[in-house]
Amino acid sequence: MATVQDLPQIRGVKSIPVEEFYSSGHRTCQGCESALVMRLMIKAAGQRTIVLGSTGCMYVANTTYYSTPWVVPWMHTQLGSAGSAATGTAAGLSAMMRKGKMQNEPINVIAFCGDGGGVDMGLSALSAALQHEEYNLLIVCYDNESYANTDIQASGSTPWGANTTFSPVGKDIHIMNNRWKKNMTPMMAVGHPNMKYVATACASYGLDFNNKIRRALTAGGPTFIHCIDPCPKGWDYDPKYSHELGMLSIETGLWIQYEIIEGELQLNGPSRAIAKGIRKRKPVEEYLLRQGRFAHFTPQDLKVFQDKVDEQWEKWWIPGLVPITPQPDEDEADEEQ
Amino acid sequence: MATRSVEVVYRGIFQRTMARNIVRNIVFAARKDGKIGTAFGRYSDSPERNGIPAKQFAVVADTALELEESLAVYEASNVDVTINVDDAMCKGIESWAWYGLQPINELTRSGGTLIVTSRQDADSLLEDIHQKDAPYNLSIIPSTVSFSGLWVYKDDHTDMRVLGALCKACPELVSINAMLESIKEQTGSETKVASVQRAFDRFTSRLVEPGEGNTETPFSFDMPGWKTMEEGVVIRGLPEGGGFRGGEEGYQPGRSEVFKKWSTRSMRPVINFDTCIKCTLCWLQCPDESFDITPDGLYDANMESCCGCGVCEAVCPVPDCVTMVGEPEFNDNNSQWDAWTADKDTYNKWMTVLVDKAKSETRSHGFHHIGGYDEEIKAEEA
Repeated sequence: MATVQDLPQIRGVKSIPVEEFYSSGHRTCQGCESALVMRLMIKAAGQRTIVLGSTGCMYVANTTYYSTPWVVPWMHTQLGSAGSAATGTAAGLSAMMRKGKMQNEPINVIAFCGDGGGVDMGLSALSAALQHEEYNLLIVCYDNESYANTDIQASGSTPWGANTTFSPVGKDIHIMNNRWKKNMTPMMAVGHPNMKYVATACASYGLDFNNKIRRALTAGGPTFIHCIDPCPKGWDYDPKYSHELGMLSIETGLWIQYEIIEGELQLNGPSRAIAKGIRKRKPVEEYLLRQGRFAHFTPQDLKVFQDKVDEQWEKWWIPGLVPITPQPDEDEADEEQ
Repeated sequence: MATRSVEVVYRGIFQRTMARNIVRNIVFAARKDGKIGTAFGRYSDSPERNGIPAKQFAVVADTALELEESLAVYEASNVDVTINVDDAMCKGIESWAWYGLQPINELTRSGGTLIVTSRQDADSLLEDIHQKDAPYNLSIIPSTVSFSGLWVYKDDHTDMRVLGALCKACPELVSINAMLESIKEQTGSETKVASVQRAFDRFTSRLVEPGEGNTETPFSFDMPGWKTMEEGVVIRGLPEGGGFRGGEEGYQPGRSEVFKKWSTRSMRPVINFDTCIKCTLCWLQCPDESFDITPDGLYDANMESCCGCGVCEAVCPVPDCVTMVGEPEFNDNNSQWDAWTADKDTYNKWMTVLVDKAKSETRSHGFHHIGGYDEEIKAEEA
């Protein structure tokens, strides 16, 4: 599969394709943003697509007992193997076409994984998949910040202090998850420098999300998109706020929207406006206080959280992406003397 | 020598803590009566999903041997009392691993009791509750439906009121004295004890005759057995969508033949087609592909798909264009666009009544902000 499909950028919401290839029949929670990710992802990719899904909500809730919400071919793969399944499928298609057993045409291969399947368990397989430059594939990590399917266990993507079944709030110690969210997207981008497209996304920005999927699928080679999915079950909020919380995660500067196209970083949406100083970051408590998983936060905890967000914007070498700082020049000067 | 059982039918996650409080407290109280019991959730309901109906059971027996006997079943074939903590589920329940619609009273035994928390009266509930060929009692606990989430519980004593009513409905299961003693011991709260007692004193019920209730046949279909599944457990994909109602214009996605969300929602969107500006947001942001695109470019919420999350209402930029209305207000799943095109005036009048009613009702679907539940409880008490 040398070529990619012709998937032009979508100019406005009215031009978003009406066709649905992920439809009814899924039993996701009310207000499930991850289901929206699936729906918009395949809407942008179109019908000539194979989707592979590792275990997680988007497998279990979607395909219980002999039913499916997918119109396109979909296959389940094991919890840590979104990367392997994507490489294998792309390689298989390529071989079949080379041998003339299949019509030679570009077919999109998308593998998705949750934060459990991608950020935790499937990390090595993802990394391997992203190294195979000869195969066109897209990995979408839908990140609802916990193992939401099995009732909210903490993952490497769970934010600091969040209530989960692995980090229950106690009377004496109320912060049980002491880990900060893993810096997944930059890890993928920095670790695989030949990748032509890496992006973060959020389905609350539907048009932007559609276009990112299309850019990834037309970039050529392996690509990676990491999207934040508010989860009404695990984050504990009224399902109608799914869209709003997605936006708040970006407006507070907690989640940063960007694309890395052939090594060039572009912030987009509200994150771009924040970086340019056109827009102020909203206080992070506007986001935190809306969720039951942070209901135990004291004003001090809120400050700790806010400081961390400030740090990633103000102290990091590349705001929100790279917490590494080059050594100051003074040292070089010292050595010369 | 007897075994008594109770099921609590509740909305997944939203009412999970409440259901657990109810079944556990039954077992704790039964111990005070010298009985033995167990409380458990139905296996197929785990992992729960927000709003999708689920069940928990409490089984109480005189002896350990009898209890063991009744535990060898996966879901009881009949229960003495069915407790339904969201009146919208009177239309029947479709749990996430269950196919077809199970009437709410399916397991209620002849002469048993169905307890519902609701602001509706018995007649309007019986419009929804499927008919049975045996008599049973219907008891209503006048109460706003109580929803909260996984981590923060809205402690508005709904669980306590249910327990009080239960002791009156089925004293063979657990006596009121044992319940009061147990609640005091478990919670240490006199106000909770008082809530149990008050619900016990105020309990009323009405006999439902055989054949009384909703006469519709519940939605069902044949499930494939393991011998009839395809090789490799291949599942056929959904059909492709096409024009609205098979026509040239608009769009309607292909939909699952088997899984319908008839009972997954506790609210549904009501649309004011006249004020719609066709901005596409409800359609675009819907996680459930519910909106059909009509030939005139409007968006018609399809009730096969909608699970009532309310995102469409939240994203709609036009005031009152999309309003979430409590599911008990509806007796069918018909297209609103059809009704609107047939007779705009009648539709608009119907819609206005519903929208006004929705505004005056408090039906909360979980956590809004820290301290929100306390405010809601105060408002309900006032």
